[in-house]
Amino acid sequence: MDIGYVNARVRGMHSYLLPRKSLDNLVLKPDIESFIEELEKTLYREDLERALVIEFGVRGIENALRNNLIRTFRKIFRFVEGDLGEKYVRIFLRRWDIHNIKTILRGKKIQISSQEIRDCLVPAGELDEVTLRELLKQPDVKAVIDLLATWGHDVSIPLTRNFEKYSKSYDLVILEYALDEYYYEWALSQVSGRSKDEEIIRNLIATEIDVTNIKTIFSLQRDSIDPEDGEQILLLGGKFLERKKLVEMLGQSSFSDLFSYLQPTPYRFLEELKSSDNRVKMSAYQNALDAFLIRQGASVFRGDPLSITIIIGYLWAKYNEIINLRIIARCKSVMVTLESLEAELTYV
Amino acid sequence: MEQVHPTRMELIKKRSQIALAEQGRDLLKEKMEALIQEFFRIMVTFTESREELEAVSASAERSLIIAQAVDDPVTLRSASFATKRQLTVDMCGKNIMGIPVPVIQKTSVMLNVMQRGYSIIGTSGRIDETAEKYESVIDIIIRLAETETTLRRLGDEIQMNRRRVNALDQVVIPELKQQAKYIRFSIEEREREDMFRLKKVKKLIERKKKKKRQASMRSG
Repeated sequence: MDIGYVNARVRGMHSYLLPRKSLDNLVLKPDIESFIEELEKTLYREDLERALVIEFGVRGIENALRNNLIRTFRKIFRFVEGDLGEKYVRIFLRRWDIHNIKTILRGKKIQISSQEIRDCLVPAGELDEVTLRELLKQPDVKAVIDLLATWGHDVSIPLTRNFEKYSKSYDLVILEYALDEYYYEWALSQVSGRSKDEEIIRNLIATEIDVTNIKTIFSLQRDSIDPEDGEQILLLGGKFLERKKLVEMLGQSSFSDLFSYLQPTPYRFLEELKSSDNRVKMSAYQNALDAFLIRQGASVFRGDPLSITIIIGYLWAKYNEIINLRIIARCKSVMVTLESLEAELTYV
Repeated sequence: MEQVHPTRMELIKKRSQIALAEQGRDLLKEKMEALIQEFFRIMVTFTESREELEAVSASAERSLIIAQAVDDPVTLRSASFATKRQLTVDMCGKNIMGIPVPVIQKTSVMLNVMQRGYSIIGTSGRIDETAEKYESVIDIIIRLAETETTLRRLGDEIQMNRRRVNALDQVVIPELKQQAKYIRFSIEEREREDMFRLKKVKKLIERKKKKKRQASMRSG
């Protein structure tokens, strides 16, 4: 499909994203029923009607939002399938493949029913429902990896490479880290060209790597993890924080020392979140970093009208909208205060 | 009272039984006071832990809601598959004034980010925070299990002691005293009867002697 046409379709879809005013309106709804009523006036109506028949309340809304996300992302993927844009969209969507594979591996390791595992899958990536169902039929971790390898799926590469190590300790973290590391390596390798589009997406992935590394370092520092162990799980390819700097950060004895390393980077805003009593509230830093990443991702929508980044920007904006709606629904169902609810939302 | 033999031996026995019962009652009262003191000492710790549990639970619940809202409940459940594990608690026992109470070995179930079983790269800090708070909830619950069982056992023992003291005070000792009184009265009654009988016999003998004397005077 012609990129101009695809972008026009995506711009159309972008115009249907809920504006700030609509989200504010939803936030002000007194209860979950009025929230559903208001949301049914939007494009989510079809998904809501379907999901609320099966399960009412917040779970129904969450299922509807998840189905809408899957449907939208698959639609976008169909637009670009077979074109140059496919690989860029694939980079964004693969995170759900990674989530699904991890979930299947976790489920198979503790031997829970396939139904229980299936309930936790989000087939928004390349691996569709049929593929995932086949993986679910496998009896154990090894069989799942073997099947992926038989299909020639590249995700099987880090899994088969690390399976021997895994089989010594049966610690699934080994395979999970291998998958995460592979995802970012693979994503960067997909955008190594010199085109403007590739540069923008490369920057976005590098920012995501930075954000992930900062989150990892903050978590490791707070739990006083040995820097040598921490080094093993640092990702390569960040934009502002190269490995040497990250290793130095890991070696810092106090949490507040980390902020000096972030001063020359765009992540210096994290210092503002430092509480006066010096207590480390990880979720506050994570929220700020996630919001930063989402804003970066969604901002690429405002680029060249004939660029693939329009699609990537839309995917990020849509993903953020789903998160915002889920936050409002959850908070409405348990009567969280308006201030706390608004603090969790990210506007792009 | 029918079954009580009103004998001196029985009275001595009853008196020693009363002394023993009173001694037992005093000992039980002392034990009860000591148990109550111990009960209230543990109660302070228990109340503090209970309040701590309520606060940590509320905070954990809030973290869970936020994690479910932002990261999607399916991501949370997926992470929970990775963290699924069995908790083993080592237990032994100790005695508080003869009452066996459990002692749970203080091993924390708190894990660090590297030990939870999932990769921290792909899992949000909100999920970590939720896991951490629920781990501390489990820690407090285990601690509370020990103090709550101790408190329950002490409470049961105090109640049982109070019943024993009451039984001794209001049933056993009054009954024994009643029995002793009955025996004493019976013995006294019997003594009076004997005395009366002896006087009667003495009178008869004297009367017989007098008659004999009068008869001998007449014949002489």
